[in-house]
Amino acid sequence: MQTIGWILVSVVGAVSWGVLALHRGETINAAWLVLAAVGTYLVGYRFYARFLATRVLEIDPTRATPAERLSNGRDFVPTTRGVLFGHHFAAIAGAGPLVGPVLAAQFGYLPGMLWIVFGVVLGGAVQDFVILFASMRRDGKSLGQMAKEEIGPVTGVAAMVAILAIMIILLAVLALVVVNALRDSPWGLFTIASTVPIALLMGWWMKVWRPGRTLEATSVGIVLLMVSLVGGRLVAESPVLAPYFTMNAGTIAWLIIGYGFVASVLPVWMLLCPRDYLSTFMKIGTITLLAVGILVALPPIKLPAVTQFIDGTGPIFAGKLFPFAFITIACGAISGFHALVASGTTPKMLRREGDAPLIGYGGMLMESFVAVMALCAAAVLDPGVYFAINAPLATLGGSLDAAAETIRGWGFVVTPAQMQSLAASVGESTLLARTGGAPSLAVGMAQIFAGVFGAHLTALWYHFAIMFEALFILTTVDTGTRVGRFMFQELAGHLWEPMGRTSWYPSTVLASGAVVAGWGWFLLQGVHDPLGGINTLWPLFGISNQLLAAIALAVGTTVLMRSGKARYAWVTLLPLAWLLVVTLTAGWQKIFAADPRLGFLAHAAATGAQVASGGVDPATGARLIFNDRLNVAVAALFMAVVVLVVISSARVWLGILRGTTPATTREAPRVATSYAR
Amino acid sequence: MWRPAMRAEVGGWLQRALRAIRRMAGMPDYAAYLEHRRRHHPGTAMPSEREYYAEYLTARYGDSPTRCC
Repeated sequence: MQTIGWILVSVVGAVSWGVLALHRGETINAAWLVLAAVGTYLVGYRFYARFLATRVLEIDPTRATPAERLSNGRDFVPTTRGVLFGHHFAAIAGAGPLVGPVLAAQFGYLPGMLWIVFGVVLGGAVQDFVILFASMRRDGKSLGQMAKEEIGPVTGVAAMVAILAIMIILLAVLALVVVNALRDSPWGLFTIASTVPIALLMGWWMKVWRPGRTLEATSVGIVLLMVSLVGGRLVAESPVLAPYFTMNAGTIAWLIIGYGFVASVLPVWMLLCPRDYLSTFMKIGTITLLAVGILVALPPIKLPAVTQFIDGTGPIFAGKLFPFAFITIACGAISGFHALVASGTTPKMLRREGDAPLIGYGGMLMESFVAVMALCAAAVLDPGVYFAINAPLATLGGSLDAAAETIRGWGFVVTPAQMQSLAASVGESTLLARTGGAPSLAVGMAQIFAGVFGAHLTALWYHFAIMFEALFILTTVDTGTRVGRFMFQELAGHLWEPMGRTSWYPSTVLASGAVVAGWGWFLLQGVHDPLGGINTLWPLFGISNQLLAAIALAVGTTVLMRSGKARYAWVTLLPLAWLLVVTLTAGWQKIFAADPRLGFLAHAAATGAQVASGGVDPATGARLIFNDRLNVAVAALFMAVVVLVVISSARVWLGILRGTTPATTREAPRVATSYAR
Repeated sequence: MWRPAMRAEVGGWLQRALRAIRRMAGMPDYAAYLEHRRRHHPGTAMPSEREYYAEYLTARYGDSPTRCC
């Protein structure tokens, strides 16, 4: 009976892929994407995750977890699997899986879909699961500590430098997504600005007024958030108030930089923790709503399966399908950042070893499904509308008419009147060239929700979607700045001891300032970039995230080898090899490609030529050239770090295979669980 | 209107649901912590809810990321 069920699931999945692959025509229903994805996930979870659990990792259901042995009621807390699944999912899923697939849709829906679904089953979910397992067997040690202990001290420091650098690029690009969504949008800006006083009120409530009443304060916070969402419309319509909340990109960028600094030096209870609670509930609620919306509406997909932009001429970001589709979609297929969460809070909460496949592998499948839904939300738009929202202004031409003409040249149809009425229907002055993925995702979500709940609420849904994305991006910005600050202090503490004291206030302020200055610089670079910044920063982010995944997979491979599982090392080695090929190719092209749209050095040279011919003023030219060189340095640093980590890991692997390095591991000793079966 | 037994059952169900929601969002749970202390460290002084909350936040928002991209 069970066998018949699994044959059925496999057949449905395979048929859906067949339909997607063979379909030629105007539109295809989103149901096929959902069915193909879910069918593949189920087969992957039932067969591959089980193989990893029983044969490769040898999960031992009778072995006590760190949560049981070290239970302290604070971070080590045995947690039932359903609850921990939600906790882990809320920790790993953020803006990444929502933005990447939207941007990569410039290649059509099929390349992104294939990479998201097969990448996760064979790569991303394996990484999360293996790292979660390794950390669980080592009392919840972090990725950096494991790199140091299993590979070597130099690798440990290299991994930390890489994590800090990645954090800086990540925060810059996510902040840029928010800036592009909120510029010249009084409604959006008012709603997001309101979250700060709301969070302060919640913080005071939970800490001072009624200590520990977190759910109570959060419920009040969510109600106030909804009030400010509705109030945003009144602000936008008011001739008196609207100008105060209508700001250009540069001003909003500086506000976010200031916010990031203040939030990371204030005590966590005031701003950071309450915002974290708000965004967690909004995230789970909205993603559930989106899933329901797509399953109920089953909208037609209007984007072609594959567009002509696979040749590298795409307007949203430069570069060919290989390697850039696999860079642009990181989260949702494989995300190195997850290795930090899978070796952070989650391993300290696993109640039983047997829960690890569901949490590690299953949690990542769930995030992948979010990426598929984001892809659907982008693909339900008319292709012309999609490109009008996502391509930079300089590429489209300055006006609606010019943009319509440019897009017609690409073979898609959009009229100025269509864009105007679309902007009006979502309560915005314009949607042209709102790069960064968030606005087009919000338009797609608003259309899906309008299809389910009625069109009169479209503007509200659009701003709801913007609010939800900006809310948890800003939560990533403040928690990320804080974590970056700790890392900076630890690294700087090696050079000058007092900087390493996290409780010393000058060190805290200096380190926070350094981290904020780092991502702030890249953010402003993106804001002032004539091509909108996303097309430079997003690939850098993708490369960095994939390289972190490569480090995590190198650690995972080493752990397998050291546990005497060399014959199964291919489970992490294959995705590692693929990531190395993809990211090193992409990094190389970003630095050395002759096309100035793609290569940083070529862009610097082209800018220099423009300065010489008088097309660009020298000051701007000097800044652009400096930024190009900085980007070269960052890309080269990422590549150097990952090559270093892989080479030093490979030496350990060879040593184990030759028998010169003992195949010993640093697992905590086995203790039998006291939980009943 | 409700019989006490029924009220107790619904109350217990509600308590468990709220506890699950708190845990899922990474919120502190003082009652569960007191239970833990009573079971594993009986006879020691219990921190107040205020002290527990402060300690919990330090443990949670430490140097490893709690939120991903």
